[in-house]
Amino acid sequence: MDNRNISVVTKVVVYVVMIAFTVLTVYPIFWLVLQSFKTSQVYMTTNKLSFPVNWYVGNYKFVWNQVGFSNFFMNSVIYSVVTVAAVVALANMAGFAFAKLRFKITKLLHGLFIVGILLTLQSILIPLFLMVNAAGLYNTRLGVLIPYIGLGLPMGVYLCADFAKSIHDELLESARIDGARYLRTFVSIVFPMCAPVSVTLAIITFTGTWNEFILMNLMTAGDKYKAIPAAVGRFAGALGSDYGKLFTSLTVALIPILIFYALFRNQITKGVAAGAVKG
Amino acid sequence: MTIKGEKRLSYAALVLPAVIIYLTVVAFPTVFSVLLSLTNYNGGRIFGNPNISFVGLKSYIWMFTEPSGNFYTSLANNLLIVCVSVFGQIPLGFMLAYILSRKLIKRGNSLFQTMIYLPNVISPIIIGVLFNAIIYGRNSVLMEIRRLFNPAAVFTINTNPMAPVLIVILWMFTGFYMIIFLANMQRIDPAVIEAARIDGAKEGRILLHIILPALSGVIVTSAILAISGSLKTFDLIYAMTSGGPAGQTRVLSLYMYLSAFQGAPNYPLANAISTVMVLISVVLIVITRWVGGIFAEKVD
Repeated sequence: MDNRNISVVTKVVVYVVMIAFTVLTVYPIFWLVLQSFKTSQVYMTTNKLSFPVNWYVGNYKFVWNQVGFSNFFMNSVIYSVVTVAAVVALANMAGFAFAKLRFKITKLLHGLFIVGILLTLQSILIPLFLMVNAAGLYNTRLGVLIPYIGLGLPMGVYLCADFAKSIHDELLESARIDGARYLRTFVSIVFPMCAPVSVTLAIITFTGTWNEFILMNLMTAGDKYKAIPAAVGRFAGALGSDYGKLFTSLTVALIPILIFYALFRNQITKGVAAGAVKG
Repeated sequence: MTIKGEKRLSYAALVLPAVIIYLTVVAFPTVFSVLLSLTNYNGGRIFGNPNISFVGLKSYIWMFTEPSGNFYTSLANNLLIVCVSVFGQIPLGFMLAYILSRKLIKRGNSLFQTMIYLPNVISPIIIGVLFNAIIYGRNSVLMEIRRLFNPAAVFTINTNPMAPVLIVILWMFTGFYMIIFLANMQRIDPAVIEAARIDGAKEGRILLHIILPALSGVIVTSAILAISGSLKTFDLIYAMTSGGPAGQTRVLSLYMYLSAFQGAPNYPLANAISTVMVLISVVLIVITRWVGGIFAEKVD
C-alpha cells in the first residue's frame, strides 16, 4: 500500500491538519478537568488558561457529599440499563418476526417503525407530558422509562430486521423439522445469532439514554428521579459563578461516559455508522 | 394447534409488545399533537373540559403573523445550523475520513479517530454549560484571550449571538460525519483503487473518480441527517444560552419548549410549532425514501 509517492509537503500538511483537529477537539475537555482543581477564587483571579498551582480537591468532596451525585448516577444507570435491555429484547423479537414470519400486515407495521427514525422527540413532547400525567406516572421512573423504550424502538427494529434477513431460511427450516416452534427457534437460534446487532443496538441506545435530558427533566420533579444531565443543568444555574464547583460537577458528570467510551470506542463508532447510513 | 395457527400466534407474541409501546409512545402522540394544535387547549383536563373548542388554524396564523417574528428567528437559526453542517461539518468530516481511510498518515489513525469523535458521546448539556463558561461573562476564557491583545477589553453582549453556538456545534459534531464517511470509504473495494493506481492514476484522480462517486449517496444522506439533526438540537443551546439574549438563539425545539413549559404556558402555539417540526420530518422521510431509491445500488 505504501509505495505511493506522497510528497513530503503533503505529508506535513496532513499531519498538521490531523493534529490541529485533535488538539482543538480535546483541549476544551482537558482544560475543564484542569480548572476543576482550582478554587473559584483562584480561577477568577489568575490566568484562565493556566495549570493549577496548588491542586485543590475540595471541589470534589463538595460535589460528592453535598450534591448527592451518587443518587443521580444510580438513576442514570437504572434508566440506561432498563432501556437497553427492553429495547434489545423487544426489537430483536419484532425484527425477527418482520424478517422471517411474514404476514400481510408486516409491511405496514415495519414501515411505521421506520418512519419513527427521523421523527424528533421534541415534536411529541407535549402530548407525552399530558399522557404521562394522565396515567399517573408523573415523577416516577416508569414515566421516564416507557417513553425511552418506545423512542429506542424505531432504530432497534430497523437494525434487527435488517440483520435477521441475512439469516438463512434453511437454518430455520431445519430447526422446524427438528420440532422447534417459532418462539423456541427465536430464543435458542435467532437471538444468539443476532448478538452482533444486539451489541451495536445496546451501545447506541445506552449512549443516547445516558445523555438524554429534556424528557427525563420534564417528567420528574425534585432530585429523587433525575439523572446526571439534569443534575448538571440544575447546578449550572444554582452554582452560577462558583466556577470551581461548577467545573468539578461537569468533570464528575463526564467520567462515566468517558470510561464507557474508552472501553467501547470501536463498537460505538461502528454502531453509529451502521445506524446512520441507511437511517 | 395447526402450523398456521402457531405461526400467527408466535408472530403476535413477538411483535405486539414492541408495536403497543411504539404506538402509545410515538405514533399516537404525533397524531395527538397535530389535533391539539387545532384546539385552544391550554392545560388542565382534556376530556370533558367544556372550555376546549376547535379553533382551526388560528394558532398557526398567530404563529406566522405575531409581530415579534419569533417563529422566523427560530426557523432561521435551524437553517443556520443546517448550513454549518452542509458547508462545514460534511466537507471537514469528508476530508478527515479521506485522510484516515487512504492512510495518508502512518501512525495514530485510530487515536485521531477516537479523539475527534469524542465530543459526540458527551451529553450536550455538559458541553453547553462548559462553553457557556468559556465564552460568556467577565470571567470567561474568551475575555482572558481578548485581554491578552487589549488589556482594557470589557465584556459586551455579542452582536451576533448565534456565532458562538454555531462554532460549538461545528466543534461537537464534525466527528460524526467523519465516522459516517469513513465507514463507507472502507466499504469501497480496495482492488478498484489498486487497479486505478497501477494504471497510473494519481491520488487526486482516485478521489475525484472513485471515492467521490461511490459516496454520492452517503453525502445526500448526510445532508438529510444534518436537517434532522438541526431539528433535534435542543440541549446544547438550552444549556449554553437558554435561547437568549432576547430569544435570538432559539431554535424551533427550544421555542416550542419555552412556549409550553416556561412562564405562562401557551400550548396552542407550542403544538403548532411541534406540527411544523413533524411536517419537516415527514418531508425528510419522503426525500430519504426517494433518494434511497435513486442511490440504492451505490449505498449498498
